[in-house]
Amino acid sequence: MPLGPGLLDELRRILGPDGLVASAEGRLVYECDMHTFYKGAPDVVALPESTAEVVAIVRLCRGERVPIVPRGSGTGLIGGAMAPLGGVMIGLNRMTRIVEIDLANRAATVQPGLINLWLTRAVQERGWFFAPDPSSQMVSSIGGNVSTNAGGPHCLKYGITANHVLGLELVTGAGEVVRLGGKVADRAGYDLTGVAVGSEGTFGLVTAVTVRLLHTAEAVQTILASFGSIEEASEAVSAIIAAGIIPAALEMLDELMIRAINEGTGAGYPKDAGAVLLIELDGPRAEVLAQAERVATICRERGALDVRVARDESERALLWKGRKEAAGAVGRLAPTYLLQDCVVPRSRLPEIMRALRAIAERHRVQIANVFHAGDGNLHPLILYDDRNPEELERAKAANEALLHACIAMGGTITGEHGVGLDKAKNLPLQYGEADLNFMARLRRIFDPDRIMNPGKLLPSHPACGEGFRPARPRVPEGAWI
Amino acid sequence: MSILAGPIQGALAAIVGREALVDDTAARVSAAVDGLVPRWIVRPRSLEHVSRVLALAWDAELAVVPRGGGNALALGHPPSRLDLVLDLRRLDRVVEYNPDDLTVTVEAGTTMGALAARVGARRQLLPLDPAGVERRTLGGLAATDASGPLRARYGTMRDLLLGVRFVQADGVMTWGGAKVVKSVSGYDVPKLMVGALGTLGVLGELTLRLHPEPEFEATWLAVFTDLAAAQAFVARLVDSTVQPSRVELLNRAGLAACGAGDGPAAVAVSIGTAEEAVRAQGETVARFAREAGASLRPLGASFWAAHAEATALDGAIVLSVGTLVTLVGETAAETERAVAAAGVAATLTGAATLGSLRAAFPAVEPRAVRTLVERLRAFVAPGGGGVIIQRAPAAVRAAVDPWGPVEPGALALMRRLKDEFDAKRVLNPGRFVGGL
Repeated sequence: MPLGPGLLDELRRILGPDGLVASAEGRLVYECDMHTFYKGAPDVVALPESTAEVVAIVRLCRGERVPIVPRGSGTGLIGGAMAPLGGVMIGLNRMTRIVEIDLANRAATVQPGLINLWLTRAVQERGWFFAPDPSSQMVSSIGGNVSTNAGGPHCLKYGITANHVLGLELVTGAGEVVRLGGKVADRAGYDLTGVAVGSEGTFGLVTAVTVRLLHTAEAVQTILASFGSIEEASEAVSAIIAAGIIPAALEMLDELMIRAINEGTGAGYPKDAGAVLLIELDGPRAEVLAQAERVATICRERGALDVRVARDESERALLWKGRKEAAGAVGRLAPTYLLQDCVVPRSRLPEIMRALRAIAERHRVQIANVFHAGDGNLHPLILYDDRNPEELERAKAANEALLHACIAMGGTITGEHGVGLDKAKNLPLQYGEADLNFMARLRRIFDPDRIMNPGKLLPSHPACGEGFRPARPRVPEGAWI
Repeated sequence: MSILAGPIQGALAAIVGREALVDDTAARVSAAVDGLVPRWIVRPRSLEHVSRVLALAWDAELAVVPRGGGNALALGHPPSRLDLVLDLRRLDRVVEYNPDDLTVTVEAGTTMGALAARVGARRQLLPLDPAGVERRTLGGLAATDASGPLRARYGTMRDLLLGVRFVQADGVMTWGGAKVVKSVSGYDVPKLMVGALGTLGVLGELTLRLHPEPEFEATWLAVFTDLAAAQAFVARLVDSTVQPSRVELLNRAGLAACGAGDGPAAVAVSIGTAEEAVRAQGETVARFAREAGASLRPLGASFWAAHAEATALDGAIVLSVGTLVTLVGETAAETERAVAAAGVAATLTGAATLGSLRAAFPAVEPRAVRTLVERLRAFVAPGGGGVIIQRAPAAVRAAVDPWGPVEPGALALMRRLKDEFDAKRVLNPGRFVGGL
């Protein structure tokens, strides 16, 4: 959809000559996020520096019915921050200010383009941190985290982004600025903050975020335990939770992943291990020490081949090294991979791992696994060679089969990455007509003309269409009305 | 009785069965909401019933007030009209309990007491402990976003509700969220339903996240010379690595109501984790108390049960006062003064580290309540706080907006939500913010 010259002039008037990226090569940078399957460059990229500029752009685009795609750092994994229909992309990377840090009230307000880790860096010397820690936290923006409701390895204990957002300034698809929530917890009215987090830019653009800050834990302890099989490791996970211990992180690696990591990084995980568990405890020192001992005992009782407890920060870093470099290490096994993000109830981990092996065999692909075992959030990496189109097709088929298997076990299609363009089509696996219809109507409350990030999150499904109404239950026959 | 009553009554009976449809006068009068007597009380046994009853109510434009334990019927504006009370207490099944996954799915009429007994047997808990918690239903707790001291550690219903099955105003059964502890697929519809007072849909089934019971727990009480000293103690706790389960501020009347002695101001702190860690943190808490000029004494485990019971019965008028954590002592003091100016004494309790206070006092003239609520709203507004009337006689809630002002842009969106999902104003008409 090429933009009219009038619109470009107007944008230039709002943003000044430096506020637009209009050249073909400039726009190319914005054609995809980290899910590089999906490409679509915007017709122009707008780089506002204030809420007022964002409002002016949205009102302009709304008047012309031009699609708007919000973008933070572009590190999403779902084909969210790309423009399948063209239109105006609004890059929030120039809105990076920390507006307020208020430690006594345990809160901070920031602009959306601020990098996640920068907020922690700004408060860590005083003993505080921002809990959501997606692997991309060194580069991803807080606005992007809010948009996808991002998680991270430590959300087993601390929860995902939604649990840490107190308030938002939102420019809706109608071009109105609304202030939702705030530092004081109890609010009258619907929890619009809660429902706007994770709306993936389909409600509007977040121009300020008030977040909860947490006090840094007094102590951290990291334990690595290796097991002969996924089943044994899963039993250890269940036993840890049953003992009333909620670790900050509880990560598992499978055999193929262990091999890739050992070959790639020299992390030195036990060679014959069928599964490795990485367990991190944090909290008051006495609690961490007591729980670490219990966790180590539980692992040994469940047949661990080896239990290592990090004695200092450098040992802790070493234990994490393999986990953090997992995605890179699989490069030794195959040129590229599809990364999945589905969830099953934790107790069904052994079962889904068996199903996964069967799927890998059936579709003749290799699947390496690294996952958040504590909450059943899987991240299978389906390996393939992108020079071979037939292999890609098999990888895609395995990917779909995997999603179906998770749903069949009562799971969900995304635990922390989001839906985007990638999984919009899969949403009907999890939701019926009435549920989808409710969401589509909810979206139109915020974005009446559906200009905000079209094609993302909601599928093109009859139930999401305007005017659709799901079947109602029958009321008894009779002349009662 | 309208000329339609006969046929509607027949249709209702056809849906739920004659026995589940109550129309005798005494029962209807006792089910009145703010003086409005319903024409029927319907007591469905299944979600299917709820769905069909609401479909009928929608077509006939009957005003429906859903209810659980009836603890929060004096929350919000008096309803603008009422035809049918939907009593959900028979929907009391635990649908699915997965202790290994720390999740449970219950019907909305399940009481907290019943759920606690079931999951407590596996040393698990749903960490919600508002006033009178045992008798309250899970649907009611979610619809009113009720919370208690445990929110200091575990958050509120919005952090615990994973999935929800609800019936829209027109009878369409709808599901939002997921049955696993982590999901970001689609909009977070459960968050929209928490605290919505059933005005966007009647909650039917809830999937909740459970927590393991702490291995060991201890509670201490620090009594201070005034609320300002209590505030200093709370500030120390906030800026520390101590991880308390509860940090409850109490004024003199609050202390007395919980049977915990006498003093101008106090903070009860509990810590739950491994025994040695509880003791170690207890020493830190004791040091903070000493530095704020107080001594710490241990309290028995029964203190929190006494707190839940005392707060359930503690006054004809109950306010929740939300304020900045840094102003919690001052706000408590101002609340005491404002209520005293109305000629009665306030019993104050509340989650100090969240700035979430609760004030209870005997009934006074509606005009006097309006004066004191307006005074408190003016006091907390600069910090972004607010005052909600949680319980009061209808005349009071007619005289003063029980919810208080909502930011106009946000209220406009809320109005659009209500227009979209309940255009006929069938569900709890008039009771919610802005008279929605």
